[in-house]
Amino acid sequence: MILADFGTSYSKFLDLADPAPEPYIKATKELERGLKVDFATGHNGKRFGDIYVNELIALARGGEALIEEDRYLLLDCGSRDIKYISYRDGKLEDMGWNAECGASMGFTIELLENYYGLDFNKLPIPAKTFSVTCGVLGISNIFDAITSGTDEAEAVASFVKGIAVNAYRFAGSPAKLYLSGGLCDNRLFVESLPCQVVPLGRFVLLKGLERTLRLSSSR
Amino acid sequence: MNAITPDTEIDRVLTAPGLQRVGIVGVPPLRLIDILHRRGVEILDLDAMLVVEDMESTVALLPRVYCAILRTVVLNAMHLDLDAIVLDVGPGKCDGALHVAAVLEDSLPIPILRVINNDRQPFGAPLCRAEMDMTDKFLAITERVKSPEILKNPPPPCRPTAGFWGVPPRDFSILALFPDTTHVYGWTRCMENKTPADAILEARINPAIPTVFFAQSFCAKTALARLLAKKHPHALYLDIDVNTGSSAKAKIQAFLDLSGVEI
Repeated sequence: MILADFGTSYSKFLDLADPAPEPYIKATKELERGLKVDFATGHNGKRFGDIYVNELIALARGGEALIEEDRYLLLDCGSRDIKYISYRDGKLEDMGWNAECGASMGFTIELLENYYGLDFNKLPIPAKTFSVTCGVLGISNIFDAITSGTDEAEAVASFVKGIAVNAYRFAGSPAKLYLSGGLCDNRLFVESLPCQVVPLGRFVLLKGLERTLRLSSSR
Repeated sequence: MNAITPDTEIDRVLTAPGLQRVGIVGVPPLRLIDILHRRGVEILDLDAMLVVEDMESTVALLPRVYCAILRTVVLNAMHLDLDAIVLDVGPGKCDGALHVAAVLEDSLPIPILRVINNDRQPFGAPLCRAEMDMTDKFLAITERVKSPEILKNPPPPCRPTAGFWGVPPRDFSILALFPDTTHVYGWTRCMENKTPADAILEARINPAIPTVFFAQSFCAKTALARLLAKKHPHALYLDIDVNTGSSAKAKIQAFLDLSGVEI
């Protein structure tokens, strides 16, 4: 049985038929036409999965599988959206999903890293934070800053910090958050979040699918 | 402009010969529904989606950023052949209806009757508590606004597993996500009870069941929805505009699933 999280930029897979299953990643644009998996979530999940689980449920179940505390907030930052789930006393407390304008999140960040030839794991956290509520509109801040003499790398870093702060505020400005998604590997983004951050990596939704599958077969 | 229409004028319009089709906004007083009912006048609920026309055509009369239900009222009024429109502009509806009445009066050559419904006689809300497909439930509740009579053979109440608080949404597609055993609260219950200005009934909630607090974007009731959702121990607050996006539907689905509600 194959489980998959079909994101906008990257798709994550787990083959449970493998004796020692390990998750793996493929670029979504490179997926073969007609691909079908058994259990899917993510932006493209309905297209490629026989059974679809909505992302918020997968995220919540992933948090249940990976986090031992009974009160926490789990924020997932994807290529195009941000979503969070919070639990209190082991039960769902709140949730949010900014699906259409999550500042185009990871996609814009990766685009800028490649365009300007930067390495976000080496850039220092900038003092300045751009106010970014939309990725497209936020890019004009970068151009304005560069025109005013700011170094390109610093301007882009301020933009990334702005996206991080926007995601943090969307999640309700918690003192501590668990982070899910590819941006866990982006040191600039993680350290720009103004709170304690516990990165869980990009396979949280896969874990959630696994748990959903287990729960549904035990019912 | 904006004065409440005197009873004499209302009676003159609603008893005039040739009156065939009257649009209503909100829940007009029972006395007026009774007059129209007895005369066999066709009543059209302008809050509901009655015409298949582009919402953008209302931009000439209303700001684009405005309550989707009131934009629907204007859209219906622009495209239906009506003889008069009766709007509840009191606490049973909203200030927005008062201003929409002025807009309609300025653009349509028919009588626009502004009324305030302070009816207090409760008709009960059996449909809100019945086990019934949620879309059918809301269709039945909104249809009852045109009737002055008490519901014959009301369905028995069911044990609730989920709650919906709010006004009837402009986009009914979200209702398909709820189980048949959902109890309905908020203004929709006031509507079925035929006491639309009953603020105490409107604020009633059931803390024992997971409840979605629905608010139509730009509606003044968003404040009450937020407040009640904060007080409720197991709530999801949702603010939806013209159409329901996939993320809002996913939120409802996830909220009910993660709350252990069987669909």
